[in-house]
Amino acid sequence: MREFIKSTRFKILLAFLAFLVGIMIYAVTKGGYSVSGVSFINTLTKPFRKASNSISMSFEKKLDKMKNADEYYEENERLKAQIGEMNKKLTDYDSIKAERDELRKFVSIKEEHEDYILSVPCKVMGFVTNDPFRSFTIDKGKADGIEPNCPVVTAEGLVGITVEVSEHVSTVRTILSPDLSVAAVCSASNADSGIIEGGVAAAESGRTRLIHVSPKHKLKEGDLMITAGSSGMFPRDYPIGTIKSIGYDSNGLSVTAVIEPCSDITRLTSVIVITDFSGKREDD
Amino acid sequence: MRLRTPREKRILYIKTAARWFLYYFLIFFSFIFMTSGTWMKPILLIPIPIFISVNNNQYASVFTGAMCGFLIDISCGKLFGYNAVLLSIFCIATSLAFELYLKNKFVNCILISAAAAFIQCWLDYKFYYQMWKYDDVERIFWKVSMKVWFYTVISSFFVYLLIKLINRFLMPKAHLTIEEAIITRNQQQ
Repeated sequence: MREFIKSTRFKILLAFLAFLVGIMIYAVTKGGYSVSGVSFINTLTKPFRKASNSISMSFEKKLDKMKNADEYYEENERLKAQIGEMNKKLTDYDSIKAERDELRKFVSIKEEHEDYILSVPCKVMGFVTNDPFRSFTIDKGKADGIEPNCPVVTAEGLVGITVEVSEHVSTVRTILSPDLSVAAVCSASNADSGIIEGGVAAAESGRTRLIHVSPKHKLKEGDLMITAGSSGMFPRDYPIGTIKSIGYDSNGLSVTAVIEPCSDITRLTSVIVITDFSGKREDD
Repeated sequence: MRLRTPREKRILYIKTAARWFLYYFLIFFSFIFMTSGTWMKPILLIPIPIFISVNNNQYASVFTGAMCGFLIDISCGKLFGYNAVLLSIFCIATSLAFELYLKNKFVNCILISAAAAFIQCWLDYKFYYQMWKYDDVERIFWKVSMKVWFYTVISSFFVYLLIKLINRFLMPKAHLTIEEAIITRNQQQ
């Protein structure tokens, strides 16, 4: 061992390790953009990852069906009963209205928000390996006009923000992550506000949290939370999620609520990136 | 090892090239596997460079370790270079340990791989979750880090078999002269 430490071999290995640390430090200074090595590997492996992911997803779907057959059967029965009950209540007018509402969801986001500059629809390439907060990669990057810190949405609601952008691939941090804070306001009252910030326990069930709510709030279950747009990072009035339950945080001083995101983040297949909007904060 | 004829040399080069091609194909396949689907998956890119290091010198080990580390950084969304440094150190240590102290046995390999995977999962938990003091952060340790470690240990059995298979057919065997064989035997006794 002593001979090894004194050898040239050891010095070369140390120099190599120092080189790796240098790369790591260089990566930190890139401010959200991938280092060229990552871009190259991402571009090179993109078609394989896409193909493998689609195989994996269909395999998982099949296994999921087999594994949860009882659960799905029960859910199916319950839903059937629910549908029967609803059918009794609904008139033709209601069903047409519901259909119209459903279709309205798919109306272009651009029509509703003229100030938005949107990317082309992005396919979800895969979720970041073993990430409890469901970060994922999309198949569009810098070449498509995407930059770090751009809001990522679906027609239903806000999904997250781009954090690392390569030439043709970007990584998205979701609203389930505690590292992403979004100023939110209740759409009904337009007064009760708070911060949407993920939590470990909430993320396990695909939900996020509303924190720092005033104790004098008038929020109730089912209220829709929308973006406040005060930070300049997210556009105003974009849906985030609905309140599932309200309680106090661990210190008992402020109110927190569990939020069910409008888009099911665990089952995303495609998203859109808002590359620009009125009121966007310009980074130096 | 003595190579007497040009034919022996040629066979050695071809076998070595084929062996490294298969190693890197396995690494590439593991990377693609790790970036697919939504389920929790083993970090296959830990046992692979560890088992490669068992039979190779420090230079080859450190390069393979760095390569696998970079790929883990990309697939797991970590700081580029973080896992490369970690795995390079693991691989140098493994290569040295097997050269100086340990015998190339199944149990030794699995234990080293399990220890490396545990350290990686534990450091990942420390630096990426616990350090930031998220609420209920210990749930991540038990529900994510330990689960991933367990999957990695289980999968390392299969990885070991694959690497063993590649080595069995493509690893050059030492051809000793009678004198060398006697000296080696005497040393072992």
